[in-house]
Order: sequence, then C-alpha cells, then structure tokens
Amino acid sequence: MAMIEVKVPDIGDFTDVAVIELLVKVGDRVKAEQSLVTVESDKASMEIPCSHAGVVRALKVALGDKVNIGSVLLELEAEDALESAAAPAAVPAAPVAVPVAASPAPAQAAQPSVPVPASSSAPAPTAAPSPAAAALPHASPSVRKFARELGVPLAEVSGSGLKGRITLADVQAFSRAVMAGQQHTLAGRAALAGSGAAAGASGSELGLIPWPKVDFAKFGPIERKELGRIKKISAANLLRNAVMIPAVTNHDDADITELEAFRVATNREHEKSGVKVTMLAFLIKACVAALKKFPDFNSSLDGDALIVKNYWHIGFAADTPNGLMVPVLKNADQKGVLQISLEMAELAKKARDGKLSPAEMSGATFTISSLGGIGGRYFTPIINAPEVAILGVCKSQMSPVWNGTAFEPRLLLPLSLTWDHRVIDGAAAARFNAYLGQILADFRRVLL
Amino acid sequence: MTNQTHPNPTEFDCDLLVLGSGPGGYSAAFRAADLGLKVVLVERYAQLGGVCLNVGCIPSKALLHVAAVLEEASHLGALGVEFAAPTVSVDKLRAHKDKVIGKLTGGLGAMAKMRKVEIVRGYGAFVGPHQIEVEETHGSGQAQTGSKKRLSFKRCIIAVGSQAVRLPFMPDDARVVDSTGALALPGVPKKMLIIGGGIIGLEMGTVYSALGARLDVVEMLDGLMPGADRDLVKVWEKMNQGRFDRILLKTKTVGAQATPEGIRVQFEGADGSPSEGLYDLVLQAVGRAPNGKKIAAERAGVAVNGRGFIEVDAQMRSNVPHIFAIGDVVGQPMLAHKAVHEAHVAAEVVAGELLGRADLARAAFDARVIPSVAYTDPELAWVGLTEEQAKAQGIAVRKGLFPWSASGRALANGCEQGFTKLLFDDRPEAAGHGRILGGGIVGRHAGDLIGEVALAIEMGADAIDIGKTIHPHPTLGESIGLAAEAAHGSCTDLPPQRR
Repeated sequence: MAMIEVKVPDIGDFTDVAVIELLVKVGDRVKAEQSLVTVESDKASMEIPCSHAGVVRALKVALGDKVNIGSVLLELEAEDALESAAAPAAVPAAPVAVPVAASPAPAQAAQPSVPVPASSSAPAPTAAPSPAAAALPHASPSVRKFARELGVPLAEVSGSGLKGRITLADVQAFSRAVMAGQQHTLAGRAALAGSGAAAGASGSELGLIPWPKVDFAKFGPIERKELGRIKKISAANLLRNAVMIPAVTNHDDADITELEAFRVATNREHEKSGVKVTMLAFLIKACVAALKKFPDFNSSLDGDALIVKNYWHIGFAADTPNGLMVPVLKNADQKGVLQISLEMAELAKKARDGKLSPAEMSGATFTISSLGGIGGRYFTPIINAPEVAILGVCKSQMSPVWNGTAFEPRLLLPLSLTWDHRVIDGAAAARFNAYLGQILADFRRVLL
Repeated sequence: MTNQTHPNPTEFDCDLLVLGSGPGGYSAAFRAADLGLKVVLVERYAQLGGVCLNVGCIPSKALLHVAAVLEEASHLGALGVEFAAPTVSVDKLRAHKDKVIGKLTGGLGAMAKMRKVEIVRGYGAFVGPHQIEVEETHGSGQAQTGSKKRLSFKRCIIAVGSQAVRLPFMPDDARVVDSTGALALPGVPKKMLIIGGGIIGLEMGTVYSALGARLDVVEMLDGLMPGADRDLVKVWEKMNQGRFDRILLKTKTVGAQATPEGIRVQFEGADGSPSEGLYDLVLQAVGRAPNGKKIAAERAGVAVNGRGFIEVDAQMRSNVPHIFAIGDVVGQPMLAHKAVHEAHVAAEVVAGELLGRADLARAAFDARVIPSVAYTDPELAWVGLTEEQAKAQGIAVRKGLFPWSASGRALANGCEQGFTKLLFDDRPEAAGHGRILGGGIVGRHAGDLIGEVALAIEMGADAIDIGKTIHPHPTLGESIGLAAEAAHGSCTDLPPQRR
C-alpha cells in the first residue's frame, strides 16, 4: 500500500498559520488538487490542495493547529494502491476516544483480543489509530494524570527530564508560569485574541475590573450576530496594538490646493488611457519622502533595538465588504505616481473580491488609512504593529486661510499621525507632519 | 424536560446506579463507593462478575491450565518420566472450574457488602433520564420473579457488556454452543467444529483437544488469530497443527442441520467450492455484539448506534451528561482490562462532580495502549503497534527480536519455540525517535510477560532503557531485556550481527 503523507506546500512567506477548517475527513476519497484544509494567517485564509488522488487514511492536523511549509496534513492511500487492496467492507467500530480539553492524547486502541470478531462478522481492524508516537507528549501516565487535573496542555510543556521527558516538576513549573502571567497556553492566547469579549472577559491580564455584563434584552429588542472572520482577526490585532503601544496622535492640515489642481489636470491628460490618479497615490509618494527624511518612522522595535528598514512598502487600509483589509504597495520609492495609482487600483479590487494573496498583505513599513472619500475631519488611527506609525487622512475641505493680508480659499487635507512614543517623540512627529505638509503643498520638493 | 418520570427530583435512591456487574461494572461501583458515594449495582445473575468471571476469562483459564498440565505430562515421557495415560473425569473438572469461579464471585459479593454497595437483582431498563426499572430475578440463574422495582439515581454508569453472536442458520440444538456453552463442559466430543479462528475459539479448541477431541476450524479471513503479527501466529500454528483435521481458511459456513449422528455443517471456499463435515459439538465463536439495545436507553435520551454501541467521550460520558458507559458496550477492544480502567475513570468523574472534587472530575481515559493476549498453548501476547500496522502506516521501526531458542530458561522448560519481539520508532524525524512503539511475544506465559512492554510504552522507554534494566536470570522475562539489546546491537546471547 502506498501511503503518502500530504504536506503543506510552499504557500508563501508564512509561519504558524492556523487550520480553521477541515474540508475532508478520514475515509474520504479525494482528487488531486482538491482542497483539504483552510488555513489562516493573521492576514488571509487559503485552501490547501491535495497533491495526490486517493483515500484519506488519517488526519494529522486538528482545528486550531498551527502549520508551516512541510507540516504533514494527512495520510493518503494513493489511488493506484487502493485498487489492489480492496477496502474491507465492514469496519469494526473503533473505540470512541474523544479527548477532553485537558488531555490532548487520545487512547490508542490496541487490537481486540479475547472477543475478537473472528470470522463471519468482520475482519479485525488492521488500521487501528496509529500510536503516532511523534505527536504524543513524552510523559508517564502519572504525569499525564497530574497535568489533566490541573488542566495543563502537555503538548505545550517542554520536558526537562532525561531525553526530554516531561516530569511532574515541569508541569508544576508550567502552571506556575501561566499563573504568574509569564507564559500563556495556546488556548489562553487564542481566547485572549479570539474575541472582543475575551478582551475584557476577566480583565485579569491588566488587573482591570471585569467586563460589564448587561442583559440588553431587558431594555429593548436585540439581535445577536456573530462577528465575521476578518473582523474577529482584526479585532484581536487591534486590541493588542491599542493596548501594548503607547500611542500619540498629532493632527495637522496640509494645503493641497495646487496638488489637487495638478491631479485633476493629470487625470484629464490621461483620460484616454484610463489611468486615474488619486490623492492617495500622491500621499504615498509624499510619505515615502517624509519617511526617508525621518527614518525612525520606517522602523520596528525589537527589544532594546530599532530595526530601521531601507525599503519603503506602504500599506493602505481598504474598506471591503468583508471588513478592513490592508494591501501593501511594495517599493513605493521606486515607482512613479501613475504606476502607484495603477497598482493601488488593482490591489483594492483584489481586496474587495477577497482575492488578496497573503504576500500582497505583508511587509508594510508604514500604513495610511484614508477616509477621504467619506468625510470627517480628524481621527486617531491605531498603529499596525510592528510598524511604529500610521497616517490617517480625512476629506479635504476648502477653508479660509489667512495669507498675511487676507483670507484666501485653500484646499486643506486633514492629517492625523499616530506614532509609537517608545520610538518617536512629539517634536519628531510635528516635524514629520510639517515636512509632509510642505511636500503636499508643493510636490516639486519630492525631487529635492 | 428531565425528570418528568421521576416522582421527586430532589430525592434520589442513590448517587450512582451501575447497570451490570462485570469487571467494568463492579470496578465502577466499588471505586465510586470508596470515594464516598451511595451506590446501587444492578445484576441479573446471582453472582457478580459478569461474563469474565462466570463464563469467560476465568473459567476458560481454569480449564486451560488443566489442559496445559495434561499435555506437558504426556511430553515428559521423552524426558524420562512416564505417567500412565490420564483418565479424565469431566464432572470433577467442571466442579474444579466452578469452585474457582465461586471463590472469585463470592469474594466480590463480600467486598460489595464491605463497601455497602447495594445489589439489586434483575434486568434493568431505563424509564427516564434519572430512573430505571428492574424486573427482578431470583434463583441461581435469571428466572424472573414477576415483580418490578423502580430506582432513581443522580448518575448512571452503563456497563451491560456484550454477548456472543449467533449465526442465524445454526439449528437450535444442545450440540451447538457458544463460548458460554462450551465452558459449561457438557462432555468431550470426538469431533468438534470451531466456527471463527479468533482467540476465543482457539482457546476453547485447546481445552477440548487436550481432553481428546479432534478439531476442525473454519475462518472467513486468510489467517487464524487476526490482529496478531503473522510471525507470532506461525509459531502457534506449527505447534498446534496436530490438534486439527482441517483448517479451513477463507471459507464461509453456509448451512447446518441437526441429525441424530451429529451436526452436519456445509462450507463454501473462496472459489465457491462446497464441502461438508459432521460434528458432535459445534462452537460458534464469530465475535461478540454489544448489549446497548436491550436497556431502553432511548427513554433516558442516550444515543445507541445501529450496531448497539454507546458512544462516549474520553471521560466515558454519553450524549446525556449524567449518564456514562464503559466496557464492551462502548466499543472494541472488548477486553476486561480495558473495561476496568474505563470504570475507574467514569466512577472518578461521577464522584468528582457530585462531591465537588475537581481533581477527580477531570479524570479521563488516556491509556496509549491496550494489550491483547491469546491464552492458547503457546500463548500469544501483543501490545501497541504491530509490524503489520507499522508497514501499513508507513512507520519505520527498528526490530529487536530474541528467539527463545537462545534462552537457557526456555530450553530448560521445553518452550524454546517462542520469541520476544520489540519495535522501536526508527523515523529519524519523529520526536519520539528510538522509543518503543509495540511488542509481541509468543511462548509460554507470554501474557504474563507483555505487561512490562505495555509499561515501557506508557513510560516512553527506548531500547537502552529496557536493555539496561537488569532482568533476572534465568527467566522468560529476561527475553524482553535481550530483545531490547538486540535492537540496540549489544546482545551477546545471540550470534554477532552482520555489519
């Protein structure tokens, strides 16, 4: 029998993506290229196709498991092998072993012995669940029992005993570390990140009082709607970024009267070719210039060090029917405004269609969130970690500006720059905004 | 919706009602009582212990022991000790077997009393989620008294076991028996047919053959003792060929008639070729079916699948949170030692929940392996991964094999045909590389030896751990240490390995 291990193929630059959906089960006959599981990074979800045709003999991943390139997803009995070995008609009922939350190791059923269904009824089970020694934590029964009592997930405990065996002391140390907040279980992390409610469910993480419980129905009719997948993921990210970053927002206005005139003229020139330049494209170009002048804004914090990036990939938040997505325009410094406009239009369309690839959503060094098309004046965007700054822009407005002798009607673009105070200070932020304003006021400065 | 059939939901007759008193049932009842619960145990027979103690494991071993001594005595002639041909009194033998059973079941009854476990005799069936009705029985068997009794419980553990499968076309005749009937030892037939080449059939065949019967065995699959590695079975086959007139493999039993001369049975080979035989005794040993459909489980809302099994989680809990199930009725393998462990889990979860003890309430069945034993002569025992499974699942294993022909003790005891085999994880990428995954032993007392291999698997031992553990010399158990050394390449009781 040709048993094949189906592994995660090269799916791009991803590590530890979670399995969110199992599309096949043991016993299913699958075709090559049929989708097997859906995985999801913090940015996108993908279906992983099968490399061969055959019958699924064992699933090696469960919902919530983290996989990487090369991780084994399942065991497949390849199609050609099946023809020679006719599948047994009657499969004896396997012992039911649904692991409880605290014991991830299911019992491996041994072969039946005394009352084996000997002849007429059914063949002995030849494919009892594999002992899968590799997947089981290396711990003796007494340690497994102790861990179960405490609710410690043994799979997450590293063993300090001989040959990596998990000892009783390891389980105690793990549970102490979790209690002290120095360590999190995967489940705990998921719960923390999982939902908005979990954010404050206990409040214990931050020593806060519990999240208020209100019986809303008491006050009027209500309806419960589950959050969408992207909402849930972005909620977890936003919460972390909001709580963990000491963020400050500076507000400013940029005079874009001339730039807007130039933009309109440019679009008229290119009317036939169909290229439409948006203010956001100019803004991206202008931001790259400002980031080059203030490199700390194009960095990430790594412990006590700052990683300053010598590339300029600009994320731009896009409102899609599925929720907020952030496609990334790569190497914005090497592209002209026309090309940026073209690529942005393409990325935005993909985002709306839910077709953004994970690669198209990663690698940003700075993000722009634009509400320009909608309205408003200023807001306080949340930094997209591990970036250290984000620029929010709203709708430009014609405003009276005092030019020294008279009020003049000028088109002003409201800017809201949120920055990480661990990396940047208020003076730098004010200079960044001022410089950005200068460029937008006279775009020729980009060339300087 | 619960309790609608219960007179007063606040008062229950007991904390825990255990339905069935086999190894699973009595273990659950006793464990729960020891933990402080008020327990009622419902059993239809006069004796506790279920199939295992009364008509299964224990009586068959009492008879197998006698068979082994009988046969060994006859072999002693070659060693210079001659006995006269034995005369067998079947009645005395049966009495001996019953005495063994009596000691054990009597002991159980006494232990139930000491624990204040109340025993209610009769057939139990659910009438609601918290109530059971017992049709009371009396006498030595299961004769019904006609009176009924209702019992209410906070929690219930279903431990109703299984029963032998009957082939529909077998005539209703005293000469056609299942394992229970065979253990009753009605007499010694001249010619016996065993339908089903599994462990139960072959154990009973060993007993009857030692007492003088000639055997035929018919099996649908292509080998006897399915589930065990073929190399183990081969040793047994070689030593047992003499018992059989015919071993019919890949053969179906298609018909049978009771005639004054005997039971006439028709077979059909894989190629459709018909054959026939005439027997004084026919043993049906084609498997066991769970008793899940006989207790009106639906009235408690407990789901029973089409084959009669009750599905449970790792805490042995059914789909109804306060009702648990253990043993044969929850699935294969149908083994007493599995049932006992499941029983303790269920009892601890129940006690933990009722007494507010979180440590107990988290109990779960997480044994990695369950050993299997055929108490034939020689015995076969295996645990964990078999070589066939390793091959089928593509798991690379390193094999350590120690033939008993190299064991001084086996030679001295005249059982040098056996061997001990251990399998270690040889997948270079596996986290458990080098650890023991399984083992198989064929030879005298193999069943007594396999426990060490099971312990090694649960503890995650590797070949060096086992090999460096000093085993006493000269023993059969030593062969486990030596097999581990063979896997490691350090065994000096075997010829040097080729490099």
